[in-house]
Amino acid sequence: MLNYVWIALILIGVFTAAGRDANDEIVNTYRNNIPLTSTLEITKKNTSLHPSFEGFLHIPAATFNQFYNIASTQSDVRQPVVISTLASGKIKMELPIGDQSPIFWQEMARAAGGKEKLEADVSSFSIDEKASTQQIIFTLEKVSFVKIKAVTKAAIEYADVAVTISLGLIGVMALWLGIMKVGETAGLLQLLTKLMTPITKRLFPDVPPDHPAVGAMIMNMAANMLGLNNAATPLGLKAMEELNKINPKAGTATNAMCTFLVINTSGLTLIPATAIAIRAGLGSADPGIIIGTSIFGAGCATIAGLISVKILQRLPRYKKAMEVTEGEANNG
Amino acid sequence: MVEIFRSAVNIVSALAIPLFILVFLGWGFAKKVKVYEVFVEGAKDGFNTAVKIIPYLVAMLFGIGIFRASGAMDFVVALLSPATNLIGMPAEVLPLGLLRPLSGSGSMGLMTELMKTHGPDSFIGVLASTMFGSSETTFYILAVYFGSVGIKTTRHALPAGLIADLFGMLGAVFIVRILFGV
Repeated sequence: MLNYVWIALILIGVFTAAGRDANDEIVNTYRNNIPLTSTLEITKKNTSLHPSFEGFLHIPAATFNQFYNIASTQSDVRQPVVISTLASGKIKMELPIGDQSPIFWQEMARAAGGKEKLEADVSSFSIDEKASTQQIIFTLEKVSFVKIKAVTKAAIEYADVAVTISLGLIGVMALWLGIMKVGETAGLLQLLTKLMTPITKRLFPDVPPDHPAVGAMIMNMAANMLGLNNAATPLGLKAMEELNKINPKAGTATNAMCTFLVINTSGLTLIPATAIAIRAGLGSADPGIIIGTSIFGAGCATIAGLISVKILQRLPRYKKAMEVTEGEANNG
Repeated sequence: MVEIFRSAVNIVSALAIPLFILVFLGWGFAKKVKVYEVFVEGAKDGFNTAVKIIPYLVAMLFGIGIFRASGAMDFVVALLSPATNLIGMPAEVLPLGLLRPLSGSGSMGLMTELMKTHGPDSFIGVLASTMFGSSETTFYILAVYFGSVGIKTTRHALPAGLIADLFGMLGAVFIVRILFGV
């Protein structure tokens, strides 16, 4: 199933991006080559051979929304600009795009190559105007293939993020594997495993109840319950490593592995710390109000996950994937 | 009652790791284990495990990245919204439910956004934070956990994980509607 989901994510992504870009070209979403008229307030003037000006564009929200046929701009636009006159007589305008810029222009700037500015050709502007405000007509630079560019950027960025996340695990992994090894050598892990046997032999009938994997799985679940993410992942990976030692078919997930994974993805935790912290940050009257509801939700997920994992493992197609054929036996 | 439970869990969480280290290493020392040597022996594998995950996580995150950047989510939301309206789930939180198994940071941003717009104590705010708090990033966990031991054939892990996510979401909608419903 993972194969299908994975290729679906990629194909749907690329085709959607291409389709949206084609649509943007047809309806001219970004108003390429269409001039926009607005009020310009000049705050600074540099008179030299090629005079340049600094100031602000003022566009009422309604005008802006109407021009781009959108509804997302709430407040009137006040966009800083720099106008420069070139030797050829052309007038160029630069719009530095920041947080105060309309979101639509922020998107356009990102699409125009990830720069933090937009450029425009000015077609009507009076250099000698004495008043501090005047009318200006300008055409913004062409913006196209927005989504395809975003997809390309995301593909490369996310590959980078994956490496950062993986390498970031090295430290905590080493720490917890070291502690676990001491616990194992001293026999503490085995003791813990024995205590939990009544539960674990039901959840993982294929794993011998005194196997080191059981100890690591118990510790992982305990860490998850307490919301100790830094400890839960290394302990979970240790459990995976132990489970893999009794895997008859290398490269294929055993029933125990799938069950263990589903327990982890269901995310049962006593205190959903991240969500509570964000609620508190946003001024909630009672940030902890979601503790009970979250436990209920994750409880539903865990029960549904365990039931489906036990049913699905009996399906012929998943059973067949586990059959060991000659030459495929576990060699590691 | 909730307050007592919360502070109890907070205390246990704060003490868990130091206590755990103390008990494990102390027990080992008492049992005459050469603690330092054994610790280093175990820790040695940390690097290999982390490096082994890289190809799996690159494959997974790159696929998710393309999907998210393309804006295809909008179409999936439009496709599914009639079904969610039927169970009384507000359309605003559907993108969060869909994104939750795919991306931890992405769904966290969405949840924050929803609470900013509707208020953290509104029905949508409580529902969004419950949905976030009652689930995990299934695809990420799958890639990391299976990747670390070189599992490529994941069998029924993904369907079961997604069924769990679905029921977690339904459970969250159900309980929040009952307790805070409009």
